[in-house]
Amino acid sequence: MALPLLFSCENVLFEEDMASANPKVNFNYLWDQCNEKYSYFELKNINWDDVKTKYEAKLYDGMSQDSLFNVLGAMLSELKDDHTNLISNFNVSRFGVKYLGQDNFDWRIIEDHYLNRDYYISGPFKHNFIENGEIGYIRFASFPGTVDDANLGFVLNRYKNTKGLILDLRENGGGAVRDVFNLLSRFVESKTLVNYSRIKTGPGHNDFSEDKPVYVTPYEGIRYKNKVAVLTDRGTYSAGSFTSLATKALPSMILIGDTTGGGLGLPNGGQLPNGWHYRFSITQALTLDKSPDYENGVPPDIKVLFNWNDLTKDEIIERTILELQ
Amino acid sequence: MINKITITFIVLLVSLNGFTQNEKVEISNRELRKGRPNYIGITMGLGGASLRDFATSPLFYYGTPFYLSLSNIRYDDKRESEKGFSYTFGNYNSNFNNHSDISKVYTFSLFYSQLYQLNNWSSDKWNVKIGGLFNTTANLRVNRSFMNNEIGYEIIPTLFGSIKVTRDISRYKTKTKIFLFIKYQLKPKSRNLAFKVNVGLLNSAYRNGFVYTGQSYILNKPKAFDDYQFKFFSGFRMSTVLDYTVALKNKNKIQFSYLWDAYKTGGDINKFEMAQHMFKFTLLFNTNNK
Repeated sequence: MALPLLFSCENVLFEEDMASANPKVNFNYLWDQCNEKYSYFELKNINWDDVKTKYEAKLYDGMSQDSLFNVLGAMLSELKDDHTNLISNFNVSRFGVKYLGQDNFDWRIIEDHYLNRDYYISGPFKHNFIENGEIGYIRFASFPGTVDDANLGFVLNRYKNTKGLILDLRENGGGAVRDVFNLLSRFVESKTLVNYSRIKTGPGHNDFSEDKPVYVTPYEGIRYKNKVAVLTDRGTYSAGSFTSLATKALPSMILIGDTTGGGLGLPNGGQLPNGWHYRFSITQALTLDKSPDYENGVPPDIKVLFNWNDLTKDEIIERTILELQ
Repeated sequence: MINKITITFIVLLVSLNGFTQNEKVEISNRELRKGRPNYIGITMGLGGASLRDFATSPLFYYGTPFYLSLSNIRYDDKRESEKGFSYTFGNYNSNFNNHSDISKVYTFSLFYSQLYQLNNWSSDKWNVKIGGLFNTTANLRVNRSFMNNEIGYEIIPTLFGSIKVTRDISRYKTKTKIFLFIKYQLKPKSRNLAFKVNVGLLNSAYRNGFVYTGQSYILNKPKAFDDYQFKFFSGFRMSTVLDYTVALKNKNKIQFSYLWDAYKTGGDINKFEMAQHMFKFTLLFNTNNK
């Protein structure tokens, strides 16, 4: 007798069960979550009410899960943000910011014409001497969260006597932010302000916390003191873009290649009433003059694109070698 | 809301009445305290539970957590105190629309309670005590499907008003019974049945900020409880316990209990709701031979 009574107490205490596969319910839930928490409406000049009108009209009773997914996924793609995804057990929606620019990277060309096959693999880094041993080349394909004192220390010690270092972040889609600071701390000699950050604090599109400074502190150990060129393209995203943004404040680092893909908003994670998952950006990274503009891509200091008519060289690396000589 | 205030007022009023009893102090408080039986309680339990964190999902997650607890209990008819901690752990699942997710939940609680007898409402068979319970519950939740929001944690400190009614159901004489022509004897046994209700008077919560996750990692200053906020007078919590206690010849006791505990945090957004139904078995070891 007590059990039903206590369960009914719970029903009074708790709000109603919201599990629902109803298209309209899920559409409204996702739209509301974005409306209150997404961080880049203003910068991207998105009228979210218009987006609602446009996609709400595509809903109908009895629509299939696949059809609903396509409507909700397309709605999220209006945010033009690869930190925004809809995830079900049959599909994942994505925007594809890297397709806004041309392809600028071919690993096989670098292996064949620059690195030789005996290059080292130290944790997440693939690296070797190039240009008669005068320059070190480091390929960093993602931020896996495994950058540590041992692998990074080995890499930087190996190239300590080079004229310059190439850190290749092309098609690096991001990952663990702690790798960003582990990496950058090896290229600064004093505590350096690299950018600001702010987070959503309320449902209004401009409800943000105060701008908080982001500092990089020198690593107490092996550091690289010569020039470092960071190679980027439209596939350089998220943690790759955070690294690129920081180079703008670090005098020993230069950005070469194409504009990054952006992705400077930290994504959240959540679930819809029908069990699908979503994520979208809820912070803004700001430049030193407190602008959020680089969410649309961090521009290179020297713009160079790959020439696909000549597959014997990488024009971005060639231009970088000139810069580091 | 009105019900909540009414219940709170009644509990406070009754508490005040209880504390102002005029009793003849025939033996000193120190002697009373020394003569009060003291137990170490070791508890194991298993139950059903549900939780929902609106900050990440509108869906309920259901689980069958295990419960462990260690406590120190001093009690007699006049007074009762208990202090201890509990640890509850288990997987909570959400299965809906062919999508299933798991949230691993670890719950730690620290608790301290004091109860005093209400003379006017007590008799040889019935014992009514009132008082308070302070409970601080911390949940750690891990749900990988929430991506950057995969780890959730909150602290729920609550000051309860409590009332406990105990019915002595001891058998004082040997009884002879017959079942299917088989004659058997029931020997004297000391036991009781108790029901305790705890109503949250001062509810508070230490919870995440507006967007759940903080930005400390991208500030290069990682910290726990990033962007967390403490809210007093927020939410509501209530629990009940039904205890069946049997005294053993060696002055130890065993106890079978059913615990129901439910709470929710306040505010208009990102509410957290959790309820537990727990069946518990406790060994009470008498430590002062009283």
